[in-house]
Amino acid sequence: MEKILFPLLIILPLIAFTQNKGLEDKETKIEKLLSKLSVSLESNTQIYIDDKVLGDFRDPIPSFNLQDKKTRSNNYLNIDYRIIEGLTVGTQIESYEPLPLVSYYPGYKGTDITNYYINYKNKKWNITLGHFYEQFGSGLLLRAFEQRQLGLNNAIRGGRIKYNINEYINITALYGNNRIGFEHSKANLFGFDINTNLIGVFNINKIPRLSFGFSYVGKYEDFEPPIDIYNPDNIFDDTNFPELVNSYALRLGIDFGKLFIDTEYSVKGKDALFSSAALGLPKILEGRYFDGSAILLTTGYTVKGFGLSSTFRRLENMSFFSDRELSKPGANPFGMSNINFVPALTKQQDYSLANIYIYQAQPQLYIQNFAGQSGEIGGQIDVYYSFKKGTAIGGKYGTKLTINTSYWSLLDATFDQVNNQYNSELLKFGEKLYSDFNFEIKKKWNKRLSSMLFFQNMTINKNLAINGLYMSSNKELNANVIVAESIVKFNKGKSIRIELQHMSTKEDLKNWTGAALEYVFNRNLSLYITDIYNYGNDDKDKQIHFFNIGGNFTKNKVRIEINYGRQRGGLFCVGGVCRFVPENTGISMNINMLL
Amino acid sequence: MKNLLLFTFSLISIISMSQGLLPTSDIKYMDGKITNIEKLAKKNDLVVISLWATWCAPCKNELDAINEVYIDWVEETGVKLYAVSVDDSRTINRVKPLVNGRNWGFTVLLDTNNELRRELNSPSIPLTILIKNGKIVYRHSGYTPGAEYDLYEKIKKYK
Repeated sequence: MEKILFPLLIILPLIAFTQNKGLEDKETKIEKLLSKLSVSLESNTQIYIDDKVLGDFRDPIPSFNLQDKKTRSNNYLNIDYRIIEGLTVGTQIESYEPLPLVSYYPGYKGTDITNYYINYKNKKWNITLGHFYEQFGSGLLLRAFEQRQLGLNNAIRGGRIKYNINEYINITALYGNNRIGFEHSKANLFGFDINTNLIGVFNINKIPRLSFGFSYVGKYEDFEPPIDIYNPDNIFDDTNFPELVNSYALRLGIDFGKLFIDTEYSVKGKDALFSSAALGLPKILEGRYFDGSAILLTTGYTVKGFGLSSTFRRLENMSFFSDRELSKPGANPFGMSNINFVPALTKQQDYSLANIYIYQAQPQLYIQNFAGQSGEIGGQIDVYYSFKKGTAIGGKYGTKLTINTSYWSLLDATFDQVNNQYNSELLKFGEKLYSDFNFEIKKKWNKRLSSMLFFQNMTINKNLAINGLYMSSNKELNANVIVAESIVKFNKGKSIRIELQHMSTKEDLKNWTGAALEYVFNRNLSLYITDIYNYGNDDKDKQIHFFNIGGNFTKNKVRIEINYGRQRGGLFCVGGVCRFVPENTGISMNINMLL
Repeated sequence: MKNLLLFTFSLISIISMSQGLLPTSDIKYMDGKITNIEKLAKKNDLVVISLWATWCAPCKNELDAINEVYIDWVEETGVKLYAVSVDDSRTINRVKPLVNGRNWGFTVLLDTNNELRRELNSPSIPLTILIKNGKIVYRHSGYTPGAEYDLYEKIKKYK
């Protein structure tokens, strides 16, 4: 709690300063200062409540549970100050007091200055010392980013130089260590990236884009050979141990206007692998190091009123962590220390029942787990179509149709678990993990009323859907989701939104239904009531309503959201990355503001 | 908790005092060319920036609604709208087909690693900002049906 005082010490002098309005020159000084300063705060507070139905509040982390703190708050304060044109300093202070919200990485404890940087920027150069975020290509080799809802922040602390040779060629070089909670990885990262648009370089006028890119990412981490305490003569042979993992990516993209194609091929250098957790404590495999690869191919075709895109991706052993220890099976439930970003390429849905069973990408290599797995292969197709105004389906205002379908399976491979070897096929699909077909139709009937209909049919490996881990078995979970929504607009910005949902499945918790009602008073204020109800649960006591009531208030630079209710437990996913959240009940308050 | 409240209160008390800086994070045109908000604001007196994503239903509703009246807005006020997609590599391939599929008539830009979104401190989208002569004069997050008319009132006010 005392650490909260630290940010206060920074802010309070400023406030004291602003209150001294006696002297005019002082006031202009303040104005000057404030015009160069940018401050923002995000605060997510939750008060957990014991629930008659779910039982008393429990934190799954035992040491946190012992502290019995039911009011928790995650806070993020950003301060950026532009010293002179082009030169900026900034910091991020994070505060998790008295403890982080339930199911966040337990290393987020207390208050700390987590990020700080100084940046110089002009037309050609962009130089940063301190923390920075970065992405090379589609992130298959490197992506440093922040996702507060999931508690992820792998910002790199070090140095980065970006140089725009001209409008068409830019290069980036970086060095540093990833953030892991309040700490930093011991592994050093080196990166280099070049992007060019060849139409500018070779003066091609016929097409809008012909792009080429190349990336290098190196990771270096010291290795101390483990000592066998039972047999000291058994010495770990560390010849050829990959302390440095060299990875490369090539990208090529072409856009003909209507048709576009983007490709990326990445190779991850040989890296150490752990033995299975099922065989006792996982150990680094001696003398067996494995490289990985990724192929990404996207094509699209668009004309006015119609858009089509398809993606194919093959991942083999593409998990890439900065800390070797965190790649150990079971050692990293919070997904910290990722260097790259390999999200599930499926569609993220808006409706709560369509978010119960979520697919997560399977890039990892496990030779000894169950029957083994070495990666995933699959793809998805998206279609966007607008029925023209004045046609039978289009009506007076036009009708919009969106279709998405995807199919993902394990890479077909054979495993020699005794000798720690495996062999994968290039383009052969192995055991099916996920398939999905969904569509959405939106129609505006008249000036006041518009409606939406959504349908989804999906099949997913049952254990992957429930626990987030693939388990080889024939058990699949099949589910159908249907959602209907209508919005009625009234005068002066008032409107009502009504939403009805249903999910049917014969597996796991079986059928659900749900409804939502939202009333908008004006653009600043809205209130909502939602409920999802697991009426199909075999256990009558678990046929629970997850009822929520809340509201949003937003004005200029402030946004406040307050909610009271019961949250469904399970995988909580944002952008194809998931964390496990237990069922809980409480009041939450999210505040967001900007200076 | 008391400290937190005090801290929050202190921040609110200085919130109304400042104009804020125009963001300088790199964003990309669909053809890969790099630009930033500061540069875009220099091209036109009156600029609307809207942060959106292919997975955000209210964002698409807002841009659909603006799209229907955008030609009139431009004619009457000379405003220019830039819709900046914050889709990351998971969904970025949907941007172009969606934009064309929906016939949007404004410029769409890309903020793939969310650096602009972070600079604007916008965990929730949509976020709409109005820039007049290089200064942010209006900011609104969220979309409710009909809010595009309020935005237009602001645009006319600063014309």
